[in-house]
Amino acid sequence: MQEAATVRRLSFGRESDMRNSVAWFHHAGALALTLLLLGAARAEEELKNPFAGDAAAAAEGKRLFLKTGCYACHGHEAEGAVGPDLTDDEWIYKPTDSMIFNTIAKGRPGTVMAPFGDQLTPDEIWKIVEFLRDKNRQRHLEQR
Amino acid sequence: MKVRMAHDLVRGAPKFLLALAFALAAHQGLAQGVTDDMLLNAHKESDNWRMVGRDYMSTRFSPLNQVSTKNVRRLVPKWTFSFGVLDAQNTTPLIHNGVMYVTASHGRTFAVNAKTGSMIWQYNHPLPEDAGKNMCCDIGNRGAALYGDKVFVSTPDAHVVALDMNTGKPVWDVALGNYKNAYSMTVAPLIAKGKVIVGLSGAEYPTRLFIEALDANTGQQAWRRYTIPAPGEPGAETWGSDADNLKFGGASAWITGSYDPALNTVYWGTGNPNPDWDGVGREGDNLYSNSTLALDPDTGAIKFHFQYTPHDVWDFDGVNEHVLADLGGKKVWLHGDRNGFLYSIDRTNGKFVYGKEISKVNWATGFTPEGRPIVNPEKVPSYTYEAKDICPASEGGKWWNPMSYSPAKQMVFVPSREICTDIKSAKGERTEGKPHWGIGSIKWNKGHGQLVAFDAKSGNKKWTVDAPSPFMSGVLTTGGGLVFAGTPEGEFKAYDQDTGRELWSYQTGSGIVGSPITFAIDGKQYVAVPSGFGGWTGWATIGGGGAPHLKDSRKGGYVTVFGLFDE
Repeated sequence: MQEAATVRRLSFGRESDMRNSVAWFHHAGALALTLLLLGAARAEEELKNPFAGDAAAAAEGKRLFLKTGCYACHGHEAEGAVGPDLTDDEWIYKPTDSMIFNTIAKGRPGTVMAPFGDQLTPDEIWKIVEFLRDKNRQRHLEQR
Repeated sequence: MKVRMAHDLVRGAPKFLLALAFALAAHQGLAQGVTDDMLLNAHKESDNWRMVGRDYMSTRFSPLNQVSTKNVRRLVPKWTFSFGVLDAQNTTPLIHNGVMYVTASHGRTFAVNAKTGSMIWQYNHPLPEDAGKNMCCDIGNRGAALYGDKVFVSTPDAHVVALDMNTGKPVWDVALGNYKNAYSMTVAPLIAKGKVIVGLSGAEYPTRLFIEALDANTGQQAWRRYTIPAPGEPGAETWGSDADNLKFGGASAWITGSYDPALNTVYWGTGNPNPDWDGVGREGDNLYSNSTLALDPDTGAIKFHFQYTPHDVWDFDGVNEHVLADLGGKKVWLHGDRNGFLYSIDRTNGKFVYGKEISKVNWATGFTPEGRPIVNPEKVPSYTYEAKDICPASEGGKWWNPMSYSPAKQMVFVPSREICTDIKSAKGERTEGKPHWGIGSIKWNKGHGQLVAFDAKSGNKKWTVDAPSPFMSGVLTTGGGLVFAGTPEGEFKAYDQDTGRELWSYQTGSGIVGSPITFAIDGKQYVAVPSGFGGWTGWATIGGGGAPHLKDSRKGGYVTVFGLFDE
C-alpha cells in the first residue's frame, strides 16, 4: 500500500498543472512531506555514537549505569533481572546505537522502561550506550 | 429473597423498602454489596472468594470438594481472559456472587462474568509515564479487596482507589506517597472494621514506609503506622549512629495482613531495612524491619511485635503472610520467611513457638529460646569479605508467594526453593528516588524448586516435591484433598495433599507468579489461575543464576478458569 501511494504521488507530481492551485498545494505538500521524511530518516541515520570504541567512555558509562539506577532492573552487569539482558543479541528491535540512545532518552511506552532524558545529558547517554555495546562485543569474544 | 420480603412487609415499611431496593438491584443486574458478615464468615461458606487470603486467617483453603483427588484428571479449561498487558501477574482473583474481580499489572482492574469470561467493566488507572521507574520488581499488583458496593485497589503510583462495584468508575482516589521517590504499591488491601488497610513498597530505595488505614466510604485517613520509629520513639535507638536511617530505612509492608476479630488484632509483615545488603551505619536490630506487627485495627497502635531477622544484611524481607491457626489449644500465626524458616508464633502475645527449616539454612545456626536467630559470622558479607554460598538466597526459603493451610488436615503447604548466594557489600550512594542496595557483588548459585508440606502443629516435614525451578505461585488447598500450585514454566498442577503425588497438570502458556483460587456457580466448582511471567527475576540469571534456564521466559497476562469436563 505504501509503495502504491508513493507511486501515485510521484506520478501526480510529474503531471502537475501549476494553474491548478489545489494541485499545486498537493504537490508542495507531498514534496514537503517527502523532504521531512527524508530528513527524519537522515537524522536517524546520523545518530552515531561519538564515543564508539572508546574504552574510557565505556567505563564511565558503567559508572553512570550504576549511578542512574539502571542496575535495579537490568542487573549490575546489564545481564538482565526485572528488565531484559542488554548484553546479548535477543532484542525485540535491532539494537542500533540510535535505538538504544532513544530508548534511554525517551523510554519505551507501554513497558516499565521510563525516559531518562531529563536526568542524563546526551553525552552521558552515549557513554551508557557504549558500555552496553562493549558488553555485547565482549560476550561475542568470549563465545568464540 | 421472596420469603424475606413477605416477612418484612409484615414487620414494617423501612425494611420493606430496603428489601425492595435489593430486589430492584438484583432485577437490574447490579451487584449486591459485601457485608462485614460475609467477610467475618468467609471460612464458613464455599462458593465465593471475597478476599485474597479467602478468609481473615489467610488460609487459601476452600471447602469445595466437587473436584477431588478422584476426578481432577477431568479438569479442563472453560475460559481465558486476557489482561492486555505483559508484566508480572501477581494477582489473586476475587469472586463475589458470580463475578470475578481481578487486578493486573500496569494499574488495571477487571470485573468479569465468572461463568463465561465476558468482561463487565475495566478500570485502567491513569498511570504517569514513569510510574514503573522506581519499582524494584515490576509493575504488578497482588489483588483487590471488596466491601460494601466498592472494589478497592492499590496502584503503582501509590494511590488507593475505590471503584463502584457495578460500573468500575472511581468513587474516591487518594495518593499516599510520592512515586517519584519510590513510594509505590502492589498490595491487595485488607478490609477490617470498615477500614481499607494497605502497606507501601519501596525498601530498595531510601524511603520510610508505612501501613495505613482509610475509611472505606470516604478514603479519609484513619491512621498511619510507620514501620520505622520517629526519633525518640521506642525502637529508634536500634538504627545505629546515622540519624538519617530513621528517614530512609525502608521496612516495606507489601503483603496483605491477617485479622483476628476475637483478639481485635491485625497481623502485618514488614520488610528489609535499606540499604538491603549493607549494614554499616545501621548497627542494631533496625526495628521494625523484618517483623510481624500486631496492630490495633482501630488506632494502628503496635500491641507487640516479633522480629524474624534482626539487622538484616541478606535482604530477607520478612513481609510474608500470616496464616492464623488454632493448634492444640494454642492460637498461633504460621509464617514462612525468606530467611528459610517456617515459624509458629503465639498470636496472643508474640512468643516464639517454633522455627523449622523450609530449605537449607546456614546463615543462622539455631535460635535462642526467644526465637532470635544465632547468626553464623561466616555468612555475613562486608566491604572486604565476600560471603560464599549463603543459604538461602534473598528470595528464601519461601518467597512472597502465599502458602496454604488446610484446617481439616492441619497441614501447611509452602512454595519454596533451594538457591544460595555469594554476596559482598559496598557503600552505596543514598539519593531519594534512586535504588540503594549497598551491593558490591552478588551472584546466585544454581539450585532448584520445591513444594514442601508440613504438619502445622509440630513443624515436621511430611513430604517434598522437587522441581527444576522455584515454585513462584501462591498455593491453594481444597476440601477435595488437593493442593494446586503453578510453576514459572507455566504449568498449573494439582497434587494429593496426603502424599504430594502429582495428579494433574496443564500448560497455561506463561509462567505462573500469581495465586490460584476456587469457587462455585450454580453448583459447579471452578478453579482459576493467573498467568504472566515477570517480577524480580535477578535470582534466576545474575552471576550464573539460580535457574538460568528461565532467562527470556515468555511473558503473558491472563487468567484461565477450569471446570470438570461435561460429558
